[in-house]
Amino acid sequence: MAAEILRLDGLSKSFFGVEVLHAVSFALHRGEILGLVGENGSGKSTTMNILGGIHQADAGSITLDGRPYRPTGPRDAQEAGLAFIHQELNLFENLSIEENIFISGFPRRLGRLPLIDRGRIGQRTRELLDMVDVRYPPATPVGKLSQGERQLVEIAKALSQDARIILLDEPTTSLTRRETEKLFTIMERLRAQGIALIYISHILGDVLRVCDTIQVLRDGHLVGGGPRDEMPIDTLISLMVGRKIENLFPPRDTEPTTVPALEVEGITQSGVVRDVSFTLHEGEVLGVAGLMGAGRSELARILFGLDPFEAGRIAVGDTTLTEVSPEACMRHGMAFLTEDRRGEGLMMEATIADNTALPSLRAYARSLTGWIARSRLEDDVAEVSRRVQINTTDYRGMLVKNLSGGNQQKVVIGKWLLRQPKVFILDEPTRGIDVGAKFEVYKIVNQLVAEGTAVLFISSEMEELIGMCDRILVMSHGEITGIHERHEFDSERILETAMLKNLADVA
Amino acid sequence: MLRTAGASGNAATRTAGGVRTRGWLERLILSEYLVFYLTTAYFLAVWPIVPEIATASSLSNMLTDMLPLLVVAIGQTFVLIVAGIDLSVTSIIAFASVVGASVMTADGGYLGGSPLAVPAGILTFLLIGGLIGWFNGFCCTRLGMPPIIVTLTGLMFLSGTAIWYTTGHSETSSIAGLPKAFVLIGQGSAYGVPNALWVALAVGISAHLLLGHTVFGRWLYAIGINRKAAEISGVPVGTAILWTFVISGVCAAIASILFTGRLETGTPVLGQRILLDIIAAVVIGGTSLAGGKGKIVWTVGGVLFLVVIDTSLKLLGMSLFVVFAVKGGVILFAAIIDAMRQRIIMRG
Amino acid sequence: MRKIEPRVSRRSFTVGALLAAGTAGLPIMVKAQEGKTVALLFDSLVSPFWVSGIEIMRAEAAERGWETLEAISDFDDNRQFEQVRAMIEREVDGILIIQTDANAVIPAIRAANEAGIPMVHFNRPPAESDAYSVAIQADNRKIMQDTVQFLVDEAKAMGGTYKACILIGDLGDVNAIQRRDGFFDIVDQHPDLIEVVARVSTEWNADKAFAGLTNALQANPDINFLVTSSDFLHPQIEQALKIAGKWHPRGEEGHVLFGGFDGDEGAYQRLIDGYLDACGVQNLFLEVDMAFGAFEDLWAGKQVDKLLLDPGFVITAANLEEVRDQMWGYIVWQQQQ
Repeated sequence: MAAEILRLDGLSKSFFGVEVLHAVSFALHRGEILGLVGENGSGKSTTMNILGGIHQADAGSITLDGRPYRPTGPRDAQEAGLAFIHQELNLFENLSIEENIFISGFPRRLGRLPLIDRGRIGQRTRELLDMVDVRYPPATPVGKLSQGERQLVEIAKALSQDARIILLDEPTTSLTRRETEKLFTIMERLRAQGIALIYISHILGDVLRVCDTIQVLRDGHLVGGGPRDEMPIDTLISLMVGRKIENLFPPRDTEPTTVPALEVEGITQSGVVRDVSFTLHEGEVLGVAGLMGAGRSELARILFGLDPFEAGRIAVGDTTLTEVSPEACMRHGMAFLTEDRRGEGLMMEATIADNTALPSLRAYARSLTGWIARSRLEDDVAEVSRRVQINTTDYRGMLVKNLSGGNQQKVVIGKWLLRQPKVFILDEPTRGIDVGAKFEVYKIVNQLVAEGTAVLFISSEMEELIGMCDRILVMSHGEITGIHERHEFDSERILETAMLKNLADVA
Repeated sequence: MLRTAGASGNAATRTAGGVRTRGWLERLILSEYLVFYLTTAYFLAVWPIVPEIATASSLSNMLTDMLPLLVVAIGQTFVLIVAGIDLSVTSIIAFASVVGASVMTADGGYLGGSPLAVPAGILTFLLIGGLIGWFNGFCCTRLGMPPIIVTLTGLMFLSGTAIWYTTGHSETSSIAGLPKAFVLIGQGSAYGVPNALWVALAVGISAHLLLGHTVFGRWLYAIGINRKAAEISGVPVGTAILWTFVISGVCAAIASILFTGRLETGTPVLGQRILLDIIAAVVIGGTSLAGGKGKIVWTVGGVLFLVVIDTSLKLLGMSLFVVFAVKGGVILFAAIIDAMRQRIIMRG
Repeated sequence: MRKIEPRVSRRSFTVGALLAAGTAGLPIMVKAQEGKTVALLFDSLVSPFWVSGIEIMRAEAAERGWETLEAISDFDDNRQFEQVRAMIEREVDGILIIQTDANAVIPAIRAANEAGIPMVHFNRPPAESDAYSVAIQADNRKIMQDTVQFLVDEAKAMGGTYKACILIGDLGDVNAIQRRDGFFDIVDQHPDLIEVVARVSTEWNADKAFAGLTNALQANPDINFLVTSSDFLHPQIEQALKIAGKWHPRGEEGHVLFGGFDGDEGAYQRLIDGYLDACGVQNLFLEVDMAFGAFEDLWAGKQVDKLLLDPGFVITAANLEEVRDQMWGYIVWQQQQ
């Protein structure tokens, strides 16, 4: 094995007397990709933050190249050759690629004069972009790049700082499959050059695909680890959740009905979706698959009245909507879980109870004065919160921002369940939440359809769609390119349908 | 009541990790009634220097001085909760003052001497406030203009218009000769309580109930915390914001009635200098300029704080520059405390 | 003209002014143990006239052994009302007030009446009402008449006909109206000699005055008779005349007959330089003396008229040395030298 570059030895860290990291030790070698997995709150972020100098460990030591490494700020980490690539990118969209890469240290002309040497920047940027396979002129504004390309620009930026260790935290969350594959190719190329990488992800398939060794954290403890070949997926999962999960998806006992709950006919909005028609039945889970930018989320927003459409018809039950606005859709029994939980789904600075009550307030108020019947509301909020199994009972005191991602998502689901929706549109309901919470979300979905609710399930995870849905719609370039019945589910074929239009374009 | 990070006056802050108790200083700074403690501390500090401040008549003067300011500030609280701002309030005060006075004045008013003069005059005040507020709200929500631009230009336009209107309705720079019954709203008292206090109590209690106990109030907080989330949750965001501007305009008009009554004069420069006091009072109370946070009780505290400082400086007979410097310093101090409390909350 | 003997000597004023300048910012924390306390309530201190006014008052009060409490309302009527109530609360013996608005000050007078505290309006009378207070005011109309009469006499002596321009103040201010009327009282008697071609409305705003006068000079390049309702506009007038090529001292070709009002230090400088021909002076020393005298009379239980007039005087190159000691602007000018 190649030379050891980084060693963590007995790292511990507590916040307010609660230990979040307990004696964690592992080593990283030159030319190695190390996968770090664990549920939310297991200590991955804390480990990252200690390496990045944002937090300091209470106990234990870090050795970098045989020398002790105690960073006290991000600057120390950068100078030591560590680079971080986060889920939320730190690029300035209005600046060009080269400006973003050199933002923290522009090469100057004539030594220290405050004149930027544009020529040198351009040349160096082209070299770096070549290394990550991005074919854009260095002066292109980052705003024009796709999410995946931006991720690669981040890596180029890390390389420009002569990083020897690159840490990637959930880098593929907003990437398409193809972009993800490209990222992996680049990672493998960097590994061949002797750079060490730490890769953090929820998607275990990806971890197994790209990592050489895998370390598993649970509740701040390192509970297992080893070469990839010794860590099959079921081992990983049972290590992560501390118990064996027999099946990734809970079994469903009910069958969909044939009673239409949502009928969509010819929905068109130029540049977004074209002639989209489908019928969703009561008690059915209808999946929507497609690549990034296929128009899935855009369709959901149109159906819930958040974005306009030029032509088409939407009917809930047997009523055609004359006015399509969130209010009108809600009146007809629709609910919508947005893909942007933090930005659009929740009031992070408010309590669980306030979030849960928001869409239902009118139902608990006198029509003339708007006076809220508070105790009735609070009782119902508590009941629905228990039903979605939020892991606290302080619904009126706990702020949503202090909850884990999975519990936050349960609050969003809870706030819609309080309205007892007939049609529930779920846009990426399990994005960024851990395996255990995912399982609980799936169980709630199954319960809902058992009660007759119709669910439109949008997801980028193929296994999830195949595991959960009765039928899967596939979208590409704003159009429906196929519908797959449960008995004919096959991820390869679905992927093909999703790329149909692309292939047609090429041909 | 909607609880938010700053609003929860709990001795212990809940975190995902667990519960931690705080020291008394942190508890004090985090208290949602901090401004009342600061006011008390300031009051006790100046008492030995100007003992007159604690006399019954001085206290009653302070009370009546704060009422019109309080009424405008209450309106402003609504707008700030939805992360808006209404800078036009002082011009509404001035404009309503001269138009209302021109309806009622015995010196050639439209209804001068008529028994209808007072009710029609009061209606004029309220209509002007409501209509200007509606226009502000319309521009901000339906036309998507930034509130600061809409209300700032409104401020300039109305201030100028008020002066122009006065020149057309009076020989002098103001309009006098107001009916006794109207003047009494600002000066007189009923059951031993100043009429202005009855008015302010009515406005304050309605506003408190509206914010704390109704759907509309909850909507406003939701919009302030996360406008997009509110929209997706079916809150009629545009309409709700529009109404906050109407409320602010009507509150400014009510304040104008109190001011005009106590001065017995409709004047186009009325309230011109108190814009900063209004915003400062609301913000010192604890309402956030970023929206989502605010309570009427806090605003009462903020106004009280400013009025106590103002009164003490007036009693000291200090020059205006000292008054400005001291007031500025105190507001800055309050802002620093607010920043400290944000840091403590962030540190969790 | 009646000879006026102000009680404040030049020396005591100078000393007092310097003293006051040094302590202006300091709060007066200690209430007077003995003697009287008088509140000085100004609406602003934006022109040299008011700055000199408050300094003369401080000096005069010090000489009489009185304490003063000061407050400035910054043109806010409601704030001034609250200031009056605060002063009543402090149980001052008298309130001297310069109000912005003649109507809005009435409730303040009533409050003072109720508390039995004499109130004196300095320089601006309040509107008619049942409330009792004393107002000291320059006899604006008379002083302006005298000033313009002097200019007319000069014009007659020099011969020719004249195109006149007047800069009028804010018509919400009684003083501005009276000065305008004083101007027309005289000019209208001499239609053959003088034609008024421009009335510039300044609203007491220097920028407006400059713009208005510049326009007037472009429309009527032959203006050769100019009167301003206040001396604080002199810098703008000088600038506008220079641009029009009409800034020449007495005796030179193209001199514009120029009359001023107030008597500030700039006016004095332009008098001795020969650009200004005559200036109607408000006798600030006398006015302060009259105001404080009114307090003493009221404390003694004497009847005092609601309006007391300062006859003022006209200063010209001819009587310069004789009367300049009573011109407040001259004292300021001296300090600046």
